[in-house]
Amino acid sequence: MSNDISFFFNGEKFTGTKGQSIAAALIANGQRELRRTRFGEEPRSIFCGIGICFDCVVTIDGVANQRACLIEISSDMKVESSL
Amino acid sequence: MKSPDAIVIGAGIVGASCALSLTNAGLNVLIIDRGSVSSGTTGAGEGNILVSDKEPGPELTLALRSRDLWFEMQEDVGDYFELEAKGGVVVARHDDSALLNLAYHQREHGVDARVVGQAELHNLEPYLHPEFHSGVFYPQDAQCQPMLAAAHLIRTVISRGGQFVSQAKVTEVLVKDSQVYGIQTSKGKFLAPVVVNATGTWAGEIARMAGSDLPIAPRRGFILVTEPAPQYIFHKVYDSDYVVNVASSDADLQTSTVVEGTRSGTILIGASRERVGFDGSKNIEILRKLAAQATSLFPVLRDVQLLRAYHGFRPYAPDHLPVVGEDAQVKGLWHSAGHEGAGIGLAPGSAALITDEILGRPSFMDASAFSPARFAMAKV
Amino acid sequence: MIIVVGAGPAGLAAAKSAASKGCHVTVIDSQARGGGQYWRHQTEVYGYKSNRSADYLNELQQNKLITHITGAQVWSAEKLGDGYQLNYLQGGVEKKISAQKIILTTGAYDRTLPFPGWTTSGVMTPGGAQSLLKGHGVVAGKTIVVSGTGPFLLPVATALATNGARVEIIEAQSPLRWALSPLALLLNPGKFPELIHYASAILRLKIKVSFGSAVTGYNDGEVDISKVRSNLSIRKKNVRSAPADVVATGWGFLPDVTLGGILGCAQTLDRDETVIFAVDREQRANVQNIWIAGEATGIGGADLALVEGAIAGLSAAGSKISVALIWKRFTKRLFARALQRSYPVGAGWQEWLADETVICRCEEVSCQEIIESVQELGAEDARTSKLFTRAGMGLCQGRVCSRNVSDIVAGTTKCAVSRNERLAASNRPIAAPISLGVLGDGIAG
Repeated sequence: MSNDISFFFNGEKFTGTKGQSIAAALIANGQRELRRTRFGEEPRSIFCGIGICFDCVVTIDGVANQRACLIEISSDMKVESSL
Repeated sequence: MKSPDAIVIGAGIVGASCALSLTNAGLNVLIIDRGSVSSGTTGAGEGNILVSDKEPGPELTLALRSRDLWFEMQEDVGDYFELEAKGGVVVARHDDSALLNLAYHQREHGVDARVVGQAELHNLEPYLHPEFHSGVFYPQDAQCQPMLAAAHLIRTVISRGGQFVSQAKVTEVLVKDSQVYGIQTSKGKFLAPVVVNATGTWAGEIARMAGSDLPIAPRRGFILVTEPAPQYIFHKVYDSDYVVNVASSDADLQTSTVVEGTRSGTILIGASRERVGFDGSKNIEILRKLAAQATSLFPVLRDVQLLRAYHGFRPYAPDHLPVVGEDAQVKGLWHSAGHEGAGIGLAPGSAALITDEILGRPSFMDASAFSPARFAMAKV
Repeated sequence: MIIVVGAGPAGLAAAKSAASKGCHVTVIDSQARGGGQYWRHQTEVYGYKSNRSADYLNELQQNKLITHITGAQVWSAEKLGDGYQLNYLQGGVEKKISAQKIILTTGAYDRTLPFPGWTTSGVMTPGGAQSLLKGHGVVAGKTIVVSGTGPFLLPVATALATNGARVEIIEAQSPLRWALSPLALLLNPGKFPELIHYASAILRLKIKVSFGSAVTGYNDGEVDISKVRSNLSIRKKNVRSAPADVVATGWGFLPDVTLGGILGCAQTLDRDETVIFAVDREQRANVQNIWIAGEATGIGGADLALVEGAIAGLSAAGSKISVALIWKRFTKRLFARALQRSYPVGAGWQEWLADETVICRCEEVSCQEIIESVQELGAEDARTSKLFTRAGMGLCQGRVCSRNVSDIVAGTTKCAVSRNERLAASNRPIAAPISLGVLGDGIAG
């Protein structure tokens, strides 16, 4: 059985391993920037990696401000970096 | 240090407005606070400047004048405190007759209250639950960032020769022959023939130090703050129950919801009020009730996350009118307190009343309804 | 029944010891698997001695007296009769659990200090780099500078290097500071083989190590390294630069004290002004039937957490605590004290900042804005500064920045941060975000 899971980030298809967080799967794919900030439009990535800092928040299947470092990828999940 | 003409106790919005008004009238003012700027109820306020929730009467007259004075203060001080005439939308869930009746009477007293039907209501607030079919739009309702406002008013007072002493707890109000002449604080003695008590929920304590009495009690109000969200809410939106609630003296918890967005993107959900003394404990049931009411107004908020909740203690008098005027027993001691949840909105109007009375000049309204003497008379 | 909040070393030790006395225990934790942030779920990790986690993880899975609730974020707690109710979110649904006795082992997270460029993607905490590696099998970068202070930099650096990254360690303090704590070293001889383990790994993996230095800037894939004094002020600015596609930077840890705070447990300040819980000889909080163990009672690492957890579990089960266990805790606490002495975090880091350096990452509040809130608007403490600037009001609720904001305000007013301000800054009424829909619906049943 394959452990590969594909999901979408800003419309682009990515593949990660089962059990990986969204942030980990994207970083493994060389996609470090997860979002831009609201005011300065600065790129942000993972920071604390354990759900404390909320730097890595993304919109998952339409629900905003979800922590990419905590939530595991699932098949055909739609992740977006817009607020 | 030059001896001031007047001492204002309290560096919240009520005290800051008084200090600025007195300064602009030519007095040298000293502001005293036991903490720092905005460290009391002002720091827990939403920044409501409302005319929509006032019934015709002296408080509405004060609110209307106050609202205009807010914009005059902005001209005077500068655009530093996010003052915005965003407008209020009041909706009725079931029977709208009380709301429409109120709006009718408010209009007669100079309030811009526009009855809006289904289409216009949802045009004003596209995310409002479709079950609401009528409401009243109040373009005059406004909002500010009250902590920044207090800070900038005080900054202006200082730049015009006034002084501010923080972290000074008043321990004694100095009175001789029923005339105030200064205060003793943890940072020393300050003398002035005029002392303004703008200490909100603590106003009763200051009055007692002067040998007088003021029946001001705290009322707890919760505010829920959400994560930053897209703009779903364009005005201050509330259920007409809020108006009924504000005038209630029922000590049990009553909630009705005021929902609004802020410049930073967070959404504020407020207006639960209960009379509980200074008990700071949280109650999860209040949070649930406020959340349920907010999402019933705006279903889109169901997916928005609550980040924090805080409460402040709002000062109120038994008849729910502010206390603005000279003390009934002690000459030179002036009170501006007991504004309950409307302290931000009513602050500049109250300051104008106090200043006019201190200077013995005519004012924009008859302030006898706010007189501290009314409680003494009630006792007799 | 006893509820243990947290499945790290302290929580697992508490569960194991309480279950050994016949008590039913429910361990509730936010992660999918047990082990906490340090062990994670792994039984074979690169850090020294971590294989001992196997015992505890087996116990968690196999002991019939222990129930494990995973993926649960406790968002609030309340007193209920003579016990407590915890409200938690699991898979988007709110649930509750109640018990008469609660053991809180809520752990800690990396403390970070700002520097110009620290909001660039590529800068993360050592804990973040470790969680990517241990939890998700991803090496954060190719060329990694691990910087900050404290022994936790060592397992992170060696683990990253073992997995193929080119690693350099920039440690702010001098190892000679250990000479300040001879008794702690004498009473913890077990630490020497650990030190030798890391020293040989560093040699074998060709990890470059600098002491008395700190990363004080990051720009365009290069870190600026400055010589610093022990209070972190700059001795010599930008002595060299080094390439890095990832900077893992951490300055010790901050305990997560939110839940205990909601339950009214008395907090106090540790010697280094970190907010921790005050507990008695048996790890009891001042609130009835609540025990607290591990990092939340003072940062001390897994060794101390295991002992404290065991004591809390036994005490909650109504058993006597042996003198041997108390002695063991004493020696571990002595070592924790030595860690504070050897790896202090002074306020000199403020010299690294530029006016525009972001301090509050969530609300993007700059150093300059915080200083102006004091100088122009009269803020005298972090709370007032926050009301003016919104620093600490964002999604993380000041978990990352509030201590730094307090220090910058104090650095501007030239008044020390008060004890009350430190304690108040850790007070959060809601332990995790909850959607208004779920909150308003209430818990079914």
